[in-house]
Amino acid sequence: MVVPKRQPLLVTGYSIVSALGAGRAEHLAALSAGRTGLAPCTIPLPFETYSGQVRAELPELPPALQARTTRIAGMAALLLEDLAEPLRRARERWRPERIAVLLGTSTAGAESTEDAYRAFVETGSFPRGYHFRYQHTFGAVLHVIAELSGARGPAWMASTACTSSGKPFASAARLMAADVIDAAIVGGIDTLCALTLRGFQSLQALDYGPCRPFHPDRGGISIGEGGAFALVERTGDPRLLVTGIGETSDAFHISAPHPEGAGALSAMRLALQQAGRAPEDVDHVNAHGTGTRLNDIAEAKAIAQVVRPGTPVISTKGYTGHTLGAAAAVEFALAALVVEEQWVPRSLGAGPVDPEIQLDVPTELRRGRFRSVLSNSFAFGGNNVSLLLEAP
Amino acid sequence: MKTTTVNVTGIGLWMPRYRDVAAWLEARPDDADLNPLGRALDRSNRRRAGVLGRAIADAAAQALEGAGADPSTVPTVVGSSIGEAATMIGLLDKMWRTTEPMSPAAFTVSVHNAASGLLSISNKNRGYTTSLAADEDTPAMALLEGIGLALEGVGPVLVVCGDEHAPRDLVQDLPQWELLAAGVVVAPLDPSVRAARLHVHALPPEMRDPARILPPAAVDCEFAHSPQVGMLDLVDALARGRSGLVALDRGLGRGYVAAIEFP
Repeated sequence: MVVPKRQPLLVTGYSIVSALGAGRAEHLAALSAGRTGLAPCTIPLPFETYSGQVRAELPELPPALQARTTRIAGMAALLLEDLAEPLRRARERWRPERIAVLLGTSTAGAESTEDAYRAFVETGSFPRGYHFRYQHTFGAVLHVIAELSGARGPAWMASTACTSSGKPFASAARLMAADVIDAAIVGGIDTLCALTLRGFQSLQALDYGPCRPFHPDRGGISIGEGGAFALVERTGDPRLLVTGIGETSDAFHISAPHPEGAGALSAMRLALQQAGRAPEDVDHVNAHGTGTRLNDIAEAKAIAQVVRPGTPVISTKGYTGHTLGAAAAVEFALAALVVEEQWVPRSLGAGPVDPEIQLDVPTELRRGRFRSVLSNSFAFGGNNVSLLLEAP
Repeated sequence: MKTTTVNVTGIGLWMPRYRDVAAWLEARPDDADLNPLGRALDRSNRRRAGVLGRAIADAAAQALEGAGADPSTVPTVVGSSIGEAATMIGLLDKMWRTTEPMSPAAFTVSVHNAASGLLSISNKNRGYTTSLAADEDTPAMALLEGIGLALEGVGPVLVVCGDEHAPRDLVQDLPQWELLAAGVVVAPLDPSVRAARLHVHALPPEMRDPARILPPAAVDCEFAHSPQVGMLDLVDALARGRSGLVALDRGLGRGYVAAIEFP
């Protein structure tokens, strides 16, 4: 496989919203306390489960964008508010058409359509105010983000299920290398939907309590919602760097991971090769760690072949739930906190650790030197993304 | 020549009654070709795929064949505005009308990247694949992603766009469209290759030289409203050997064009 040579992406700002709260401070507080954001799901379902619902108040969209009001657009607006200062500086440095919006989602506005379709089934007509083009499509929320941010460059939503928000980091690096853009808002967002919850339940992949990645009795995932945006620029004063991005496919099964984690392994190796790093350079791994039996075993086998023994490996899904299309971005931001704060939160739900998982999974907060962090995301379709973040 | 110029080494399309580029060019519709076959998929994944996945696979198979590209290694960009919307709506309908449990098989192929995933699995392609959306700008954005990949030196890249018919219940107040898929294989520019050269960039309609704008493909309105009609227009121009500018949307996008030059 060809290893594309790229300049590191300079991350000059990032924002995050999840079940743990909105912004850096609320996430640090929850992670350091080992406090989960998961709670009994409030969406009406024919079964019980836990989910990671965003409780932060979402801003109203300006009048010109009111018709595009959705939960996902509100979350995007909140993330942009938190990114306002670095975005303002970027707009001073780069022409608007050289700033891209490259994001990922698995749901887009499906949550709005779900409600509207229920009304249609019950009454024969869609609710007033529902508009497929302004609320459902991937372009609907892209338009809101472009308008609110002032970015006028290329704009798209990657939608590769649970890797959706990791792929835009690589797309931004490619467009910068091709001299198409100078900066980009990357990352992604997803909202909770009954359809997704029922879908994962049909696959028997949903835990009925809070998920417990790497635990011997883990029962599956808890679904969450949220998102994270990062501003990446060609030059500037970075808070951190993305030095390697491995994108591979399992070519194995539409919904099950390769049992030996082959695609995951090649994604991690590709990220390291791109960055010119050796396995011993990796200080920490934020695993995909969904809490399903198959994923955690397969991923653990792959990680064990990449990093040196004793490297702390955690899953943060016990805090936020699996935010699906937003997971890669949310976990990018949580990994960024580790690089900036120099401590790894405990892998919530993991104590005790499954003896089949031959990794060092911290069940207590661990301080240390964490300058180089891998963050993994894997998806339906056998899609894999591994990001390597480093301190500048 | 722009640094982001690439060669186009293969083209493909599938529309109801037009199974490939040759049938389209010869204006030879065939009622036997009302359903896509999914030629780039193996037998089990043809069954698993919906009509969108099969149409995308048919367009992909032609483009790859024309380019002589290896389906087991070619990086693949699939663009679709609404993805597997019909599957999703089917699931919603069942969810709100019945108490039946959801079909896990239907759920797993309701994701936007079902087509790209099935292509990867069928062809044992363990490399790069993605799926993206940008409403009417999907063709332009998919091409930009594909060109970015090609310029990284990963070899030829398949870029294929498709959308199934509009979800009629949901878009009652909008123009309807029908299933359509079209795609190209792009490769790093090689002056020794006698292939079309392609450059994609933003150029608002008011700044375009009318003399350079190529006519769009002659299609009925049910295809003209497809979010992917820009890719069909590009494939049509390439198939006819026309140099000039192709608008990658028909008025609802952000004004990207493809500049084509035949050596």
